[in-house]
Amino acid sequence: MTTLFINEEEVTVAAGTSILEACRQSNVDVPYFCYHPELSVAANCRMCLVNVEGWPKPPASCCTPVSEGMKVSTESEALVKDREMAMEYLLIHHPLDCPVCDQGGECKLQDYAMEHGSGKGRYLEEKRIIKDKQLGPFVTTSMTRCIHCTRCVRFADEIAGTGDMGVLNRGDHMEISSVVDECLSSELSGNLPDICPVGALLDGPSHDVSRPWEMTRHQSTCTQCPQGCDISIESRGQDVMRIQPIEGSPEPWLCDRGRFVYDAFRNESRLLKPISKQEKVSWNDAINDSIALLKDKRIGIICSPDWSVEGLSAIRLLRDTAFKNAPVAFDLHRRDKRSFAFEEGFSQTTQQIEDADQVVILGSDLRQRLPLVMQRIRKRVLADKPVVRIGSMRYRTNSELQKDMLIRPRDWVSVIASAIEQVMALGKQAAGMQAWLDATQDRHEAGKVLADALLAETCSLLVGEEIRCHNDAAALIHGLDLLMRGCGHAEANNDGRNLIPEGMNAQALTALFAKDRMSVSDIFEDANQGKLDAILLIGSDPIGDGLFPVQAREALKKVALIQIGAIQGEISDQASVLLPASAYSEVEGTFINMEGRVRTAHHPLEVLGDQRPLWKIMMRLLQALGQDIPAVSLEELRIHMHRFIPELTKVDDKQQDAIFLSSARNRKSILPTQITLRTLDVVSRYSMYREGMWARSSELLRGAGERQKLADVIMHPDTLAAQAGSIATLDTDHGQYQFKIDVRDDISPGVLFISKRGIAGDISNVVSVDINGGSA
Amino acid sequence: MIPSDPKKVTAICFANIDVPKMHTLEMARQQGAYQFLPTVLNTFSSEHIVSEMKISGLRGRGGAGFPTGLKWSFVPKNTGKPTYLLCNADEGEPGTFKDRDLMRFDPHLLIEGMIMAGFALGVKDAYIYIRGEFIHEAKRLNDAISEAYAANLLGDNILGSSYSMHLTVHRGAGAYICGEETALIESLEGRPGRPRFKPPFPAVEGFFRCPTVVNNVETLATVPAILEHGGEWHKAIGTPNNAGMKIFSVSGNVKKAGNYEVPLGTTMRSLIEDYAGGLQNGSVPKVIIPGGSSTPWLLAEHYDVPLTYDDLASAGSMLGSGAVIIIDETADLIALTRRLAHFYAHESCGQCTPCREGTGWLERILTRIESGQGKQEDIRTLEDAAKHMAGRTICALADGAAAPILSLLEHFPELVEQAIAEKTS
Ligand SMILES: Cc1cc2nc3c(=O)[nH]c(=O)nc-3n(C[C@H](O)[C@H](O)[C@H](O)COP(=O)(O)O)c2cc1C
Ligand code: SF4
Ligand code: SF4
Ligand code: SF4
Ligand code: FES
Repeated sequence: MTTLFINEEEVTVAAGTSILEACRQSNVDVPYFCYHPELSVAANCRMCLVNVEGWPKPPASCCTPVSEGMKVSTESEALVKDREMAMEYLLIHHPLDCPVCDQGGECKLQDYAMEHGSGKGRYLEEKRIIKDKQLGPFVTTSMTRCIHCTRCVRFADEIAGTGDMGVLNRGDHMEISSVVDECLSSELSGNLPDICPVGALLDGPSHDVSRPWEMTRHQSTCTQCPQGCDISIESRGQDVMRIQPIEGSPEPWLCDRGRFVYDAFRNESRLLKPISKQEKVSWNDAINDSIALLKDKRIGIICSPDWSVEGLSAIRLLRDTAFKNAPVAFDLHRRDKRSFAFEEGFSQTTQQIEDADQVVILGSDLRQRLPLVMQRIRKRVLADKPVVRIGSMRYRTNSELQKDMLIRPRDWVSVIASAIEQVMALGKQAAGMQAWLDATQDRHEAGKVLADALLAETCSLLVGEEIRCHNDAAALIHGLDLLMRGCGHAEANNDGRNLIPEGMNAQALTALFAKDRMSVSDIFEDANQGKLDAILLIGSDPIGDGLFPVQAREALKKVALIQIGAIQGEISDQASVLLPASAYSEVEGTFINMEGRVRTAHHPLEVLGDQRPLWKIMMRLLQALGQDIPAVSLEELRIHMHRFIPELTKVDDKQQDAIFLSSARNRKSILPTQITLRTLDVVSRYSMYREGMWARSSELLRGAGERQKLADVIMHPDTLAAQAGSIATLDTDHGQYQFKIDVRDDISPGVLFISKRGIAGDISNVVSVDINGGSA
Repeated sequence: MIPSDPKKVTAICFANIDVPKMHTLEMARQQGAYQFLPTVLNTFSSEHIVSEMKISGLRGRGGAGFPTGLKWSFVPKNTGKPTYLLCNADEGEPGTFKDRDLMRFDPHLLIEGMIMAGFALGVKDAYIYIRGEFIHEAKRLNDAISEAYAANLLGDNILGSSYSMHLTVHRGAGAYICGEETALIESLEGRPGRPRFKPPFPAVEGFFRCPTVVNNVETLATVPAILEHGGEWHKAIGTPNNAGMKIFSVSGNVKKAGNYEVPLGTTMRSLIEDYAGGLQNGSVPKVIIPGGSSTPWLLAEHYDVPLTYDDLASAGSMLGSGAVIIIDETADLIALTRRLAHFYAHESCGQCTPCREGTGWLERILTRIESGQGKQEDIRTLEDAAKHMAGRTICALADGAAAPILSLLEHFPELVEQAIAEKTS
C-alpha cells in the first residue's frame, strides 16, 4: 500500500495505482478522456494533468504511479490554464455539431468545454474534415468529431479481440479507421458508441431520433441469456429508444443480443390482446375459454426459464393448488430429466472464473452462449492464464486457447473415463470412481487434457450444452462430479463445478420444480400417448426453438394448447387461447443469473396493450378455477416466493449483489449406459442472433445474424470424404432428409454439424444419422 | 591510436575518421580495432564494466545526456527474459550529422562498442536502428557486420570466448519520431512509431517488454576507448560532470560547416572560430541553436559559453545532440521558425492532443504571419499554444516543437510585431 496526499487529504491506495485511479477512488474529480478502467492506459488526451509537489511539469495522472508521501493537487491556477488549453487544442478542429449530435447532453467534450474551456476559440485556420466509416449495422460514425483518444482501438484490440480498428497517419492527419469496411464482427460491438467519449461513434439504431435528456430510463434485467445483465431501457414517450448498460454492474459490457433486441419490445410479434380461436377477445372471455380447456383436465406445463422469480413462483402456486401432479418442463434442449450431480447454474462468480488457475470449457460455444463470460476468458488468456477446451467444434473465440480438442458427443464417456483413470493413477479418489469406470470400455486421448487441467490448485469447469443436452447427461455429469471431487474442486470454498444453464433463474427453477421436472419431450410424448388433455405453455416456443419441434407438432394434433406469453412464436397459430403477459422489460421483479446472483428490476417500461404481469394471470386462472387466491399483491406473492426459496428473504437493494443462490447437488451414482448410434453424431449450434422468440422477432438482430451465418450443415473433410456443395441424404430414426453439405476442418470428424437450428427443424432431436449412398 | 594520457587526447570517436578504407576490417584492425576485445571478453566482469562506465562520467550523446553507466545499471538481472541492446542510429534531429559519418567511415568502432556493451549487459541480440534515408551507411554497416561475422567477432562464441551476440541492422522508414527511444522500440517491434509513456522505462520493460538499453551511436562508439584506458582516463577529459570528447555538427552561417570532435568545455566561440572556419558575416552570430533544432536559442551574448551539458543548461538551452546551428543577420527568423514548425507538425506522431493539434496550429499561424496576414492576437495565441504543449506530452517532441517559437517570441518579439504590422492586404 502507498500513502499519498491528494489536495492535502491523506489517502492510501494499492502500490502501483495511478494518480488518476487514486483520485477516482477518493472521489476527487480529475477530467479525462482517454482513460477507461477496462482498457489499457494510452495517456494521449493529456486532459488529466495534475500538479505534484517538487515536479517541474504537470504529469498526466492516468499514467503516473503514486509514490509514498507524494503530494498531489488537482486544482491550481496553472491547471486551470492547462485544461483550458487542452480543451482549446481539442476543439480547434471539432465541428460545432452539438445541436445535431446524438451525444449532446452526455458528451465529455461538451461537458468539459463548459467546465474547463475558455468559452472562446482562437483558431482561424482551415478546419479538418474526416470521412465517415462503415462499422457494421450497430455503429454509425461521424469521424470529424473524433478526438483521437483511441479508446475504440483499444476496445477492438483488447476487449472484442477482433483488432479491426486502428490509427492511420500521423500528426493532425491522424485518423481512426477500420481495417476493412463493414468489418466490425464483434458480438460486443454495441459497446463502441458507449466507450467513445464524444459523438464520433454513435449507436446506429437510435441515431438521429432523440436526445439523451428526453429519455426515461427503466432499470431492468436482461433475460436474453443466463448472464442477466443490469440494463437501463431508455424510452421516449411510448417508444423504446435503446438499451444501455448500468455503471457499476458486475460486468462492464452488454452484448449485442441483449442490447439490440429492444425493437421486438414494440413490434407486431408482441402479444398485446387476449386471443381465442384466432380472434381478439376480452380478458373475461379468454379466461373462460381457458378454463374450459383446463378445469379438471390432465395438463402438462412448459414454461420459459426467463420469467421473474415472482412469475415462476406464481406458476408453482397454480400447480400446487389446481394441478397437483402436472409435469413441468422448462428447458427446450435438455433430454435427460434425471437430476444431475451438479445442477444447472454456476458455483463460481465470473471473477472467480477469471482468476482460477485453470479453466476447462466442455462442449460450449461460449462466445455465442455467454459472451461476457467469454470476455472474462479472454482477459485470462491475455494475462497468460491457461484455458483448455474439448468439444465437437472449435467454435470461434477471440482468444487463443492452450488446448482445443475435437471429439464427438459419443466420446464424452471415454474422455471422462480416461481422465478418471489418470487422476486415480495419481492417487486422487472419490467414492464411486471405480464403479463408473467399470461401466465403460473405451478411453479417449482428450481425457488427458481434462485430467491435466484438474491437477491445478483451482480449476473452473464450464460444462456446456453438448453435455447438458446429451441423452446420458446425468451419467456424464456424475462422472465429471467424481473427477471434480477427487481432485479437490468441489469443496465449499473452492467449488469449480459450473453447468451452463439454458436460460435465467436456473437455481430458482430447480428449487421450485426439481421433483416434478420432466423433459419437454416427455410432456409431448405423454400428450401423444393420450396421457394429457392440454398443454399450458408459459412463455416459450418449442416449435421455433429447441430440440423437439417434431414431437411438439405431433402432440398438438391431439391436445389443446393454452399459451401465455409476451411474444408470439412459431407455435402460436396452434394455440386455442393466447393470454398476453408483460415482458421482462415491463415488470418489477427478481431474477437469478447463472452465477446464482440476485438481480432486481425496479422501474418497468410502460405497458401498451392489455397484457398483465404473469403472476396476476396465474391468480386470475386460479380464481376462475374456483380456488382461493394465494396472493393479491406482489408483496403477498413474495411471501410465497420466500417460502419456496428462503435465501431470497434477504434481498434488499443494497446487498443484492452479495446474495447468491446455490445450485442443487445430487450424490446418487448414475452410471453410463451403452447407446446404439448411427454413424454420425449430430450437433447443433446456438446462435445469439437467432435463438429465442425475442431475438427472432428483432429485425436488428436478424440483420446482424445474417452476416455471421454459417452454411446449414457442415462436416469435416475426413468424414466419409465429404465434399463441399454436395447434397447428402440422411437416414434418421424418423425418415430421410436431404441437406447441402459444407466442409470445414474446425469440426470433429464423425460429426454432422447443424449450424442453425431452425433449418434442422425435423432432425433437431436426432442424435445420430447415417449418410445414405455416400456423401458425394 | 588514442593516447593513454588524457591530456593528449584530441579525438575518441573520430580518432581514425580520416584513415582511408577505415571501413574495412583489415584497415580497422591495422589501426587497433578489436585488439582489446579479447581482454574484455575473457577477463572483465559485467560489474566491472558497468562500474568503469559510471566512473568515466560518459553521458548519452543522443540528446538527453543521461549518464550511460547509470542507465546500464538500471537493467534488472535474472528476469528470465532476454536483455536487448539497441543502437539509436536514427539521427533525425535537424542539424545533426555526426552518427552518419561515424557509421560510414568507421563502422567497426560502433560494432566493437556494441559487442562490449552487449557483453556487459548479457545481451544475445543487438540491433542497430538506422535512419531510413541512410541507405549507403546501412550498406556499409551490413558489409562491416558480415566481415565481423566471418572473423568470429560476432555470432557464437566470439573469438573463442563463451560470449555470443548477434547484430542486425534495421532500417527505419523516415520518421523523425522513431529516434525517440520508445518510438524506436515500437517501430522495431513492427508497429507504428508512437512513443510509450514512462514508467516503465525501457531498461525494465523495453523491446518486446524485455529489459532494453537504447544508446546513441556516438555513446556506444566511445565504449572501447573507455574500457581500454579506464573510466578515470575518460573522466579526466573535459570538465567535471561533463567528461569526454563530443562531436559537434556545425552548420549554418559558418565558413566550414562540418563535424568537429572537441573536448567538452571548449567554448562555442572556439568551436566556431578555431574549427568551423569562423562566421560568414560579422563577428558574433545573431542566433545560436546549440544542440539541434529542438533546443532553445542562444544569442550573441552566449558566444563564449563553454560547450558542456551544465553550462548550456545554465544559459537556458541544452547540449542536445551537439548540432550547432549558427544564424546571422542574413536569415529571416520568421521564415526559419515557420519552416521548423512545419517540420514538427509533419513529424508529430499525433497521439498527444497538445502536440497533434498544437504543432499544426502553430505552423498555420506562422504561415499566415509570414504571408502578411498576421493579427495582433496571434502573438498571444502562439505563446499559449507553444507553452502548453511543452512538458505536457508523452515524449519530448512537443518541447522541441515549442522551443523555436518560444525563443523567437522571447528574443525577437519586435520581428513578429513588425511582420504583423506590415500587412500585405
Ligand atoms: C523526438 C525525439 C527524437 C530523438 N531522436 C534521436 C535520434 O535520432 N538519435 C538519438 O540517438 N537519440 C534521439 N533521441 C533521444 C533518445 O530518445 C534517447 O534519449 C537516446 O537514444 C538515448 O541514447 P543515449 O543515452 O546514448 O544518448 C530523440 C528524442 C526525441 C524526444
Ligand atoms: S472514434 Fe471515439 S473512441 Fe475512437 S478515437 Fe475517436 S473519439 Fe476516441
Ligand atoms: S450477456 Fe446476456 S444478459 Fe447480458 S446483455 Fe447479453 S444477452 Fe443480455
Ligand atoms: S509529444 Fe508528439 S510526437 Fe511525442 S508522443 Fe506525443 S504526439 Fe507523439
Ligand atoms: S486520461 Fe490521462 S492522458 Fe488521457
